[in-house]
Amino acid sequence: MSSTFFKTIGIRLWTSALVLVGVSILIFCIARVIPGDPARIALGPNATQEQVELLRERLHLNESLPVQYFEFVRELFQGDLGMSLYTNRPVTTDIGDFLPATLELVVFAGILMVVVGIPLGVLAARYRDKLTDNVVRLLSLLGVVTPTFVWAVFLMLIFAFYLEILPVAGRLSQGVDPPPGVTGFYTIDALLAGQWSTFGDAFSHIILPATALALTGIGQTARLTRASVAETYDKPYVEMAQAYGFSDRRIASKYALRPAMIPSLTIMGLDFAAMLGGAFLVEAVFAWPGLARYGVETILHKDLNGIVGTVLVISAFFLIVNMLVDIAVAWLNPRIRLQKRWAG
Amino acid sequence: MTAPLLQIADLRLAFDSWRGPVEVLHGISLNIRRGEKVALVGESGSGKSVTARIIAGLLQYQRGARISGHVAFDGKDLLGLSERAFRDLRGTAMSMVFQDPTSALNPVFTIADQFREVLGRAHKDISRAEARRRAAEALDHVLIHEPERVLASYPFQLSGGMNQRVLIAMALANQPALLLADEPGTALDVTVQDRTLHLMADLIEEVGSAVLFISHNLGVVREFADRVYVIYRGRIVEHAGTDALFHDPRHPYTRALLAAVPKISGEGLPDTLVETSDAFDAPAVIHDGCEEPPLPAGMAA
Amino acid sequence: MVAILRSEAWYKFRRNKLSMVGLGLVTLIVLLAVFAPLVAPYPTHAGAFVDFVNASQPPSATNWFGTDLIGRDILSRIFFGYQVSLVLSVVVLVIAVPIGVGLGLVAGYFGGWIDYLIMRVTDVFLSIPPLVLAMAIMGFLEPTLLNAMMAVAVMWWPWYARLAYNLSRSESHEGYVLAAEVIGAPKWHVLVREVLPNCLPAVFTKITLDVGFVILIASSLSFLGLGVQPPTPDLGSMVAEGAQYLPDMWWMTVFPAFAILIAVLGFNLLGDGLRDALDQGR
Repeated sequence: MSSTFFKTIGIRLWTSALVLVGVSILIFCIARVIPGDPARIALGPNATQEQVELLRERLHLNESLPVQYFEFVRELFQGDLGMSLYTNRPVTTDIGDFLPATLELVVFAGILMVVVGIPLGVLAARYRDKLTDNVVRLLSLLGVVTPTFVWAVFLMLIFAFYLEILPVAGRLSQGVDPPPGVTGFYTIDALLAGQWSTFGDAFSHIILPATALALTGIGQTARLTRASVAETYDKPYVEMAQAYGFSDRRIASKYALRPAMIPSLTIMGLDFAAMLGGAFLVEAVFAWPGLARYGVETILHKDLNGIVGTVLVISAFFLIVNMLVDIAVAWLNPRIRLQKRWAG
Repeated sequence: MTAPLLQIADLRLAFDSWRGPVEVLHGISLNIRRGEKVALVGESGSGKSVTARIIAGLLQYQRGARISGHVAFDGKDLLGLSERAFRDLRGTAMSMVFQDPTSALNPVFTIADQFREVLGRAHKDISRAEARRRAAEALDHVLIHEPERVLASYPFQLSGGMNQRVLIAMALANQPALLLADEPGTALDVTVQDRTLHLMADLIEEVGSAVLFISHNLGVVREFADRVYVIYRGRIVEHAGTDALFHDPRHPYTRALLAAVPKISGEGLPDTLVETSDAFDAPAVIHDGCEEPPLPAGMAA
Repeated sequence: MVAILRSEAWYKFRRNKLSMVGLGLVTLIVLLAVFAPLVAPYPTHAGAFVDFVNASQPPSATNWFGTDLIGRDILSRIFFGYQVSLVLSVVVLVIAVPIGVGLGLVAGYFGGWIDYLIMRVTDVFLSIPPLVLAMAIMGFLEPTLLNAMMAVAVMWWPWYARLAYNLSRSESHEGYVLAAEVIGAPKWHVLVREVLPNCLPAVFTKITLDVGFVILIASSLSFLGLGVQPPTPDLGSMVAEGAQYLPDMWWMTVFPAFAILIAVLGFNLLGDGLRDALDQGR
């Protein structure tokens, strides 16, 4: 392990922390600087002046902005994001309840993105400019240009309404009890508890929303993989592999793929993390009780603490995923992993 | 007289372009006997690299490449061979050394991994340990004194000269009947290039492979080749034994080529070496004793 | 010289059938949007028009794409929806592109602490998933067309800052820039006269691609009820409204959904074609 590797990780950790502080300031500014009294907006025009005053007090709105921010950060470090004005519960409790459902959805979609997108891209690159390539390119273009909510609606229409092979909405059928909570992922919890029928039910419920969420990412991944693998096909080392008679399959799945994947991984990480945005749309269509749906509700109810908390958690997830991907890339790339640090 | 190991007759290659097919090889004939060292000399763009790629079967199955003529290797018709059968030849009966050693090695696999893959071409079920032992042995042949360190390295951790030796060791590890050396080491500096070429020549001698040297370096050619073909714009213009060619160049182009060498201190030829001249289109000069043998039975048109 | 390059780029563009399809789709959509009042079968249906007798009708000879819950012709509303979407896209990009490109160029060309400050702020904006940032902003604003434009613009400029930053970083080491600096041209002058023009082809290509993606994001916002509000004809709201009546009244959802898809597809094909044509022309 070289010092360059740890240095890369160190720099990444430091910038991530810095960016997270920046995000908290940004969210804070959006919440307080936008004209209008947040307390009044939250309570609506029918609230009395006393009610508004009370809320202003609770949200520290009468203090100066830096003091407000300081209060916000102090409470944040105590694990306190304030009370949700929409559910009347601590925002952290709400997030704890709703986050696992969203994560389960995003993880399934992420797996689909990788498992379907990369092979499609490799296939297209291997048969460049042939029929396979054109079909893959057309399909991935469709994936990218179709809004997630349109995919969600179309999939629901076809598989839930017309073919009736998959459930329309929710995480479980009515009458099915959630498995004992360990991870908060119903599929995994059901497996852990050995409840096979619950697992089947949870799994059938997640297929459509996860697919709808994944399709944009699958399209992006396939396009990206195709482009970078096609580029490595022009490299001398692939010609060398061909000149030594390595099989086409081996070249496609190993010799051209690995060098091509290293630069692509970073972008795939971004696409994966961006699914949290898409989750807002998918959860709305499939009535998926996750954080995104909670986020929309807090926005519609002008729930200041709820909005700030949701956005912060989502950004933190976004940053963590990107950081992990960067570390993985540094690890996979022997140049970074092994290079001795130069003097100075 | 036995048939040559490699025999090319009237080889033509054209690429499809938006203006229609463009011919880049206009009927090349060339032969290499077993264990013989033959050079193909010309400027860049003369068609020498594509010739090597046709022999290695890297162009046949590409769209837009039209090939005609005859290429026979060890009794097989290389232009009629299936892609699969051709692949079986590559890395076993024939192998190749590339111009830039560092970019010819895969950047994300260790030398040991890549070596094992090459050895696996000839020995299907070679074990990891056995592959490593043989690779170390092969590296020892090219005077790499710390084979274990080199095997554990990635190409970017090694010098260009070291990578070149690794490539040479890989190319000869399976004792191929024919080695295609496409401007070996041109990307390296001159002294390193010289040293590795000598290593390669010695090893070739030991293994007994035949070699096709693709080069624009006349110094190298003079030192290592038994026979020389001079190629100009997709045509062979002169074919002679090495001594005969250097002492008695007869084709106007060959003369211009040799005359240009002292100006550039015996090193490689620049991209446009000599002013084009109509005289260069004169018919090919074949020295005595260098006539192309007849095609083997069943291969002639 | 420029004319030759241009014609060569045009030749390359024309050769690609998909690019031409993109150009065709974009032309069609722009024409439909601009002349919506003339070409829409029922121009009055754009606003708060009510006709309960003809409500919720499936596609027919009189209403090719059917009618919505209060009897408005869906085809007509799609044409006006294109109008709204295009105006929104143009306004968003007119705000976001100059801000982003300006900041990116300055950061990339001047370097130092300006670079650090601008790019870290950009990172902050980019570390909130695109849609989420726009939604959070809409959370504190009234859902109007103007506010939706502002929210999307705030989320969009960092991408142009990133692009312009990378471009100006690589351009500032090019010979012509160094030459201008050696002659003693003021930095601002070099930035505006030398660096900026060389970044424009890439920026221009991204703008073409982004018109489609702004439509996509804006329709996503209104699908969630956080964007343009009725009775303004908006494709995202139309899909959301219709989705409540699936599967029986499928036409209310399916046609507006396809309308969005086709618009994004058109701008995407056009943008890809432009990129290929301009890249190789350079």
